[in-house]
Amino acid sequence: MDVGQLQRQFIDYTASLFREMKKEWRGFLDDQFTQLRKLQDENNPDFVFEVVSLFFVDSEKLVNNMAKALEQSTVEFKQVDAHVHQFKGSSSSIGAHRVKNVCAAFRSFCEQQNIDGSAGGSIPMVE
Amino acid sequence: MVSEKMGFGNVTSTSKTMKIIDTEKKISILIVEDDLLIQKIHKVMMTKFGTEVQLATNGKEAVDLFLSSASFDLVLTDLEMPIMDGIEATKQLRSMGVTSMIVGVTSRNQDSELQAFMNAGLNACYVKPLNAEKVTVVLNELKNI
Repeated sequence: MDVGQLQRQFIDYTASLFREMKKEWRGFLDDQFTQLRKLQDENNPDFVFEVVSLFFVDSEKLVNNMAKALEQSTVEFKQVDAHVHQFKGSSSSIGAHRVKNVCAAFRSFCEQQNIDGSAGGSIPMVE
Repeated sequence: MVSEKMGFGNVTSTSKTMKIIDTEKKISILIVEDDLLIQKIHKVMMTKFGTEVQLATNGKEAVDLFLSSASFDLVLTDLEMPIMDGIEATKQLRSMGVTSMIVGVTSRNQDSELQAFMNAGLNACYVKPLNAEKVTVVLNELKNI
């Protein structure tokens, strides 16, 4: 599969995520993603693809870090919270609505030092 | 209490003197942000508004730029960064006599957290994400100085 086909598939997929949002008003993407799409032009023709790719790379790293931190015998909730905070920032900046909301819930678990809510609930949702 | 923005009229700390902006040249902006994704988004967003953008990955890099006699009309700074955070960087810039507009952009959204950032010497503080509406407000404030 060539890059052009992958890009077309990506465009179709993002369009479907928006349809999901418009239908149910609780979709994967919010208006921030619309704003990012408007930033793509002839000067930045691959902008959306680049930021989404960066987000996926960041997300994988952060989720792995969170999972490792939660597996420790003594969980450092402040460390977990720091990862979640970073994830919330990047997800809100890209318009990843559901991820942002899960991060917000995750942070309250961290504040309560609730290991069941964090490891058993939020990590699978984010993945 | 949760806020989206502080400043530009909501400032509780003393106002900072602004330098006069030459409206015929492009507005110069220093984006201080350690997250590469957010750095990219903010850079493209600000460039789209016709500004000239330079990047710093932490507060120390920002301070060092001003120490090397660089100047910017606007500094857009994150709060939490390695080496030097946004609060410390803002304090140092103000103590150096920097009169550029400094706007904080952070994921923190509690009033107390935003106020602590404001107290360092910001002109305004926004909760992420930065969007076209917020950028418009900031640039209009800059042009109205």
